Amino acid sequence: MRRKTWRRQLLTLPPTGYLLLFFAVPSIIMLFASFRYAGEYGGLAPWYYYEAGEFSLDLTLENWQRLFESEIYLLLFLKSIGYALLTSLLCILLGYPLALMIARRPKRQRDLLLLLVILPFWSNFLVRIYAWMIIFSPAGALTQMVNGLLGLFGLGPVTLMYSTTAVIVTLVYVHLPFMVLPLYANLEKQSPALLDAAQDLGANSWRRFWHVTWPLSLPGIYAGSILVFIPVLGMFAIPDLLGGTDSIMIANVIKQQFVESRDWPFGSVLSMVMTVAAVLVVLLGARLARQGVARG
Amino acid sequence: MKKLLASLVLMGTTQLAAAQGTSLYLFNWNDYIAEEAVAAFEQSCHCQLVQDYYSSTEEMMAKLQAGASGYDVVVPSQNAVQALVKQGALAPLDKGALPNLKNIDPAFLDRGYDPGNGYSVPYAFTTTLIGYNESELGKLGIDAADWSVIFDPMVLEKIKGKVTVMDDAQELFGAALKYLGYSVNDHDEKHLREAQQVIRTAKPYWAAFNSSSYIKELTVGNIWVAHGYSSDMVQAQADAAAAGRHFTINFALPRQGAVLALDNLVIPKSAKNKALAHQFLNFMMDGKHAAGVTNEVGAGNPNAAATAFISEEIKAQTAIFPDPATLALLEPLEESSPKVRRLLNKLWTEIKIR
Amino acid sequence: MASPSTRGSLALTLSAYAVYAFLYLPLLIVVAYSFNDSRLNAEWVGFTFDWYHKLLHNQEMLKAAGNSLIIATVSAAIATVLGTLAGMALHQFRLRLLPGLVLAPIAMPDILMGVSLLLFFMLLNMSLGLLSIILAHITFCIGFVALSVQARISGIDKSLTEAARDLGATPWVCFRRITLPLLAPGILAGALMAFTLSIDDFVITFFVAGVGSSTLPLQIYSMVKIAVTPEVNAISTLLMVLTLALIMLVSRLSPAALRGS
Repeated sequence: MRRKTWRRQLLTLPPTGYLLLFFAVPSIIMLFASFRYAGEYGGLAPWYYYEAGEFSLDLTLENWQRLFESEIYLLLFLKSIGYALLTSLLCILLGYPLALMIARRPKRQRDLLLLLVILPFWSNFLVRIYAWMIIFSPAGALTQMVNGLLGLFGLGPVTLMYSTTAVIVTLVYVHLPFMVLPLYANLEKQSPALLDAAQDLGANSWRRFWHVTWPLSLPGIYAGSILVFIPVLGMFAIPDLLGGTDSIMIANVIKQQFVESRDWPFGSVLSMVMTVAAVLVVLLGARLARQGVARG
Repeated sequence: MKKLLASLVLMGTTQLAAAQGTSLYLFNWNDYIAEEAVAAFEQSCHCQLVQDYYSSTEEMMAKLQAGASGYDVVVPSQNAVQALVKQGALAPLDKGALPNLKNIDPAFLDRGYDPGNGYSVPYAFTTTLIGYNESELGKLGIDAADWSVIFDPMVLEKIKGKVTVMDDAQELFGAALKYLGYSVNDHDEKHLREAQQVIRTAKPYWAAFNSSSYIKELTVGNIWVAHGYSSDMVQAQADAAAAGRHFTINFALPRQGAVLALDNLVIPKSAKNKALAHQFLNFMMDGKHAAGVTNEVGAGNPNAAATAFISEEIKAQTAIFPDPATLALLEPLEESSPKVRRLLNKLWTEIKIR
Repeated sequence: MASPSTRGSLALTLSAYAVYAFLYLPLLIVVAYSFNDSRLNAEWVGFTFDWYHKLLHNQEMLKAAGNSLIIATVSAAIATVLGTLAGMALHQFRLRLLPGLVLAPIAMPDILMGVSLLLFFMLLNMSLGLLSIILAHITFCIGFVALSVQARISGIDKSLTEAARDLGATPWVCFRRITLPLLAPGILAGALMAFTLSIDDFVITFFVAGVGSSTLPLQIYSMVKIAVTPEVNAISTLLMVLTLALIMLVSRLSPAALRGS
């Protein structure tokens, strides 16, 4: 028995200790920082003073008050959530046919087809953004083509670069594999016998899809949506490189507080709100997925 | 392909080993040193010059504040020098190691931001102005020598989506304050809010906030009007000419006045190689090497000994070498108090979000 | 005459191929332009190897590549040890703290880990550089290794270790002779994944990088931000080839690990 405890400690302690120190502790420090004053030149001001034998705390609610004194931060969060939802939706739209097609192929083809979905995902994230910067550039082929088409209908030229459209398209591109993988995992497990049964009962292919496949795949959709939603919520590089003057997201403002404005306490406040939002989304998704499983 | 990759990997590691011998770490504005000078210095010191870049004063200050220690030389503007000195972040200069200091035009020495030049030596200066596509703006009959070209909706209507402004609160507010007829250092909350309103009104017409890639955007022709540093505009002009574009790039100093930035070489206290840093400072103050930042980069030059090496063509441009009348229009930014900075940050964040 | 069902599946197949095109066309453009003899990524001018040549002489890029390799090797090695322990612990014991700690860094947006680690390193008065990047990379790699190892363990037949114990093997011998060899593909797959994730990471590195510790993604970011040159296309193409090779290796060793991610 003692040996077992010893082994348990050996296996558990190192990773737990490391993650506590480098993940949990920094998160707590961030929470604490949100109540501190910004230092005169950036960074953080001391959180206590010890003068003439007297100890006094120097903490504040100011940073949190700033969050609520104007509606713009709330609106920004809503907008970022809106982008994340739209991205998830578009990923479902594009990812579903793909996942379904793969799942219905013979077993031997599936691994290759799936690998083909994952491959672009393993190329560097910035490279994938960069690809779209080339495509969207005003001199690029896509913009020329779109404007040529619009010109036929007498519509003015549009710029795709530096626009919300460019941001959303790239967000979808970068996160699509996160949707396809869980969807595929779900669809692959569905028993073909169910579809056969439905066919025997005279259901056409559309009805079979709508009444059998779709409801059964809901847990996969929820899982995929979470995997897309959360990284999109924390994205700053795409709006940074492809966005215009109004495509900024919450992560850009967080980055701005830390990198340009030197207001770390307010950056910590926004980060804490984002943490809460992410945790809520995970809990909600997990709950929906469980219900879906229960119903299925 | 595999061979290429392998050699890349190999060279990367050997390069690294070599770099750890002697390297000078320079934290510089992007596109702000003559390649010729870099090569000459590396040869003379038998070392490697390793550069990191920033595109705004705030970005540089934040990075240093966040514990980026180990740079041997940094290139802050006058207001940032003042802040860094106050923070005690700079190493005092050993004038004995800097005989070339005599080359600097006395008008640029002993200024209020660093009395006696105990911590900094002037390197180059730029103005923040308007770079524009001469051909396109000519067709539309728009006057670029006025801040209205980036702030007035009546003018912007004609060039919607073809304008970028700097992604830098101090520079953009400076320009808006000038447009309104105030000083770039006006910290009155009412005036700053007016400036915020000007920026907000104009924002829908801009393509993007951009401090780093407007040289390229102007050169390619994606953007017709860019708010940015004079040195960058000189480069855009040259790049467009070299690429044989069917249009020309030019730049103009708005008649309401603009921000002047005097950039300096300083040595942070945390520098690992202070002797080499002094060697670099002295090297860059040599007339011939100092001229590079003007000839190749297009910045103004505070070095009197460099004048002989600067091309006449560049000397004649008042946006780069302001004559007394132009100089009167230019104002250097001053270091603002933390309270003003916090207000500016708030106003700036509001602009970015809405 | 096609039945409605085959027409439906034809539409399905076509739309799926369209999505494949959407996934691959942008990357093909990047690769193609890396051989284009023009500075501007707009029209095709002619074929050249110039950008690769330039790349091999770009000191900053080479140094960044060296940094990336050092960081990825060290953090993958340490994360593999810690992650393997975590994966085994998760499989063998009912733990309260560790499952959350392993999953949270994977589930949280990267930017949050980046800024909180920046605050943490500041508090420790640690100067930012290779060490801070490595510590950060280990943090987000542990979880992926742990999951890969855990997936492999659950596939191992328990009777093998029990048989060894019955035959009198000490736990250590049993671990070294039976468990470890069986786990090896899972561990190796996890290690390679950690290596790839580390070499690929931009967001967290962006916040915790310091002087002279620029990595390839940071270098690409600043190049892309300042001016788009085909040199970026060249380094991107090389990176794609490298990751492709690594992925092939992982999929050989443990196809399940790939899907697990």
